[in-house]
Amino acid sequence: MNEVGVLVVDDNEIDRYILLRHLRQCGIEHVVEQEDGSSALQFLQDFEHQKNVYGKKFPPRIIFLDINMPHINGFDFLEKFSDLRQTHNFDACIIMMYSSSEREEDKERVAKFGFVQEYLIKGEITPDQLKDKIKPFLDKK
Amino acid sequence: MKISTKLLVIVALTVTEISLTLWSIVEISKGATFHQLNTRHLKYNAIFSEQVDELSIGHAVDATMLKDSIQQIKQQPIDCLDQVNFLNRFIMRQIGTIHALEICRKDIVDSNAALALVDRFENGTIDGDMLVLELKKFVHIFNENSSMFEGPTNDTVSFVLRTMIPMVVFISLFNIIFIGYMSRSISGSIRSLITLVSKQGNELDKVIEQNVTGELKELLDVTKERLTHEIMMSEVNKLLEGVVKTRTESLEKANSELEQFAYRTSHDLKAPLTSTKGLARFIIEDIKSGQLENAIDDAEKIAQQMEKLEDLVIGILSLTQASSTGGEMNPIDLQNITESAKEFHKVALNTKNIKFFAQVSFESPMLSEEVRIKQIIDNLVSNAIKYSDENKPECIVKVHAYETELAHVVEVEDNGLGIPESRQGEMFEMFKRFHPNVSVGSGLGMSIVKKHMDSLKASIDAKSSKNGTRFTLTFPKREIV
Repeated sequence: MNEVGVLVVDDNEIDRYILLRHLRQCGIEHVVEQEDGSSALQFLQDFEHQKNVYGKKFPPRIIFLDINMPHINGFDFLEKFSDLRQTHNFDACIIMMYSSSEREEDKERVAKFGFVQEYLIKGEITPDQLKDKIKPFLDKK
Repeated sequence: MKISTKLLVIVALTVTEISLTLWSIVEISKGATFHQLNTRHLKYNAIFSEQVDELSIGHAVDATMLKDSIQQIKQQPIDCLDQVNFLNRFIMRQIGTIHALEICRKDIVDSNAALALVDRFENGTIDGDMLVLELKKFVHIFNENSSMFEGPTNDTVSFVLRTMIPMVVFISLFNIIFIGYMSRSISGSIRSLITLVSKQGNELDKVIEQNVTGELKELLDVTKERLTHEIMMSEVNKLLEGVVKTRTESLEKANSELEQFAYRTSHDLKAPLTSTKGLARFIIEDIKSGQLENAIDDAEKIAQQMEKLEDLVIGILSLTQASSTGGEMNPIDLQNITESAKEFHKVALNTKNIKFFAQVSFESPMLSEEVRIKQIIDNLVSNAIKYSDENKPECIVKVHAYETELAHVVEVEDNGLGIPESRQGEMFEMFKRFHPNVSVGSGLGMSIVKKHMDSLKASIDAKSSKNGTRFTLTFPKREIV
């Protein structure tokens, strides 16, 4: 059991469910789900409030972010999150992209954001691989 | 008169003038020759006269020398007659100097008589005194002949001078005036043609037909033909370049659309498959660990994913069909199509308590492809129902069709959730869903509508806000071909 908080932003309910089960297998239980970029940003903006509610588990250590979402998609989220980092302390917070897109241009587009640490492809990532990927970020806590 | 004919006349006149001038010179010089011949005649007669005088003072007779002198005298009228041609004779006859030729002939006869006399002396028929006496008579006769010949010869030469020189002068003057006139006429027609052609605002073909003839017309016709050909070729080339450019652009667009389509299709088809793969693994795990409830939940999720996949495949098929062209244009019964859509969505309308209004007021029949119109109305009505806003006091879906001078217009309006302002630009893109938590769809509906509208050369306009969405479909009127 790990005490870190994780945020999953994905409009696809099934994909969220699958990721959550995988995370549970990695020992992560504290997961907040958001089904769109806009609601996720709103969640992060209420910084003080969330800190009161979630305590040490906020801000989330890892944000799993889908790309293809309605309203505010993954790319837009990254732009806005980058701005948000100027006003709030999200230094310990990293992003792992979680998308079914295998396009190189998508990978390059997110790579310019320093806080994006991984690009995981849905359906290809196994629970064991996921464990390896998130391990360094859990150890620090 | 043709320009070539005019030039030919100029050449003919010039040739005539030169010929007449040359002939006059020849004739005048002939008169000089006649004078020369007469002078020689006198000279040889003077020698002959000297020889006769020597005989009379007792010198011995040299018959051969006498004969030679007489032959020299005789030669001059012979030469004179040789020089005279038909035209000279004609002129001499007309001006009354033809007797000069008679004098020549008489002189030849007289010379022959003198030669016969010398022959008689040689034969001894006459003696020396008789010979001298007779020869003296001949000296006198030859002198007389020369004097008589001089008059008509002078008359003839002066006549030629009097008539030919004015004639040559006259013809030269005429030539100068005529050639000047011709040149002016040629340059004038060229100048007036230039004015005619450079003048704007007239029908060149007609003007040329009425005002231009001969070689200039031929020149214009040939030039026109050549220019027309060249202009046509350049137009054709431009046209071809345009066609190639348009085709290339449309091919590039189609290519990029196809690439986008392939990517989006594979991406969105893959998503439910990936989820299913994950869910299947969970089911195996759950069954192994005896958590059958979980397994059943996941199996249901798989069924949902498969339904989604099916919707997608159907949507993609419709989209492909919507892109194809060449359907039959028929009068459309929009009232009926709207009613069918209402009937089809009856359950949803009742469940969500949505009020459906339809008003079709077309004055002339709307010509279009029924299958496409059906799919368009169906998709728009279906979206309006799917994304109704239950927070509003009354949910409404309204179809209003009317006619303008140029088009049949169909409006599909709702007071539903609307499309987020920031995403309205993506409205017609494939696999775009703006309210995924409200309803499950392929995200292809509006792409299909747009493809149909493009194929029908009709336009679609959307206005959307939180108060609802209104789609305006404009179908330009067209005649049955």
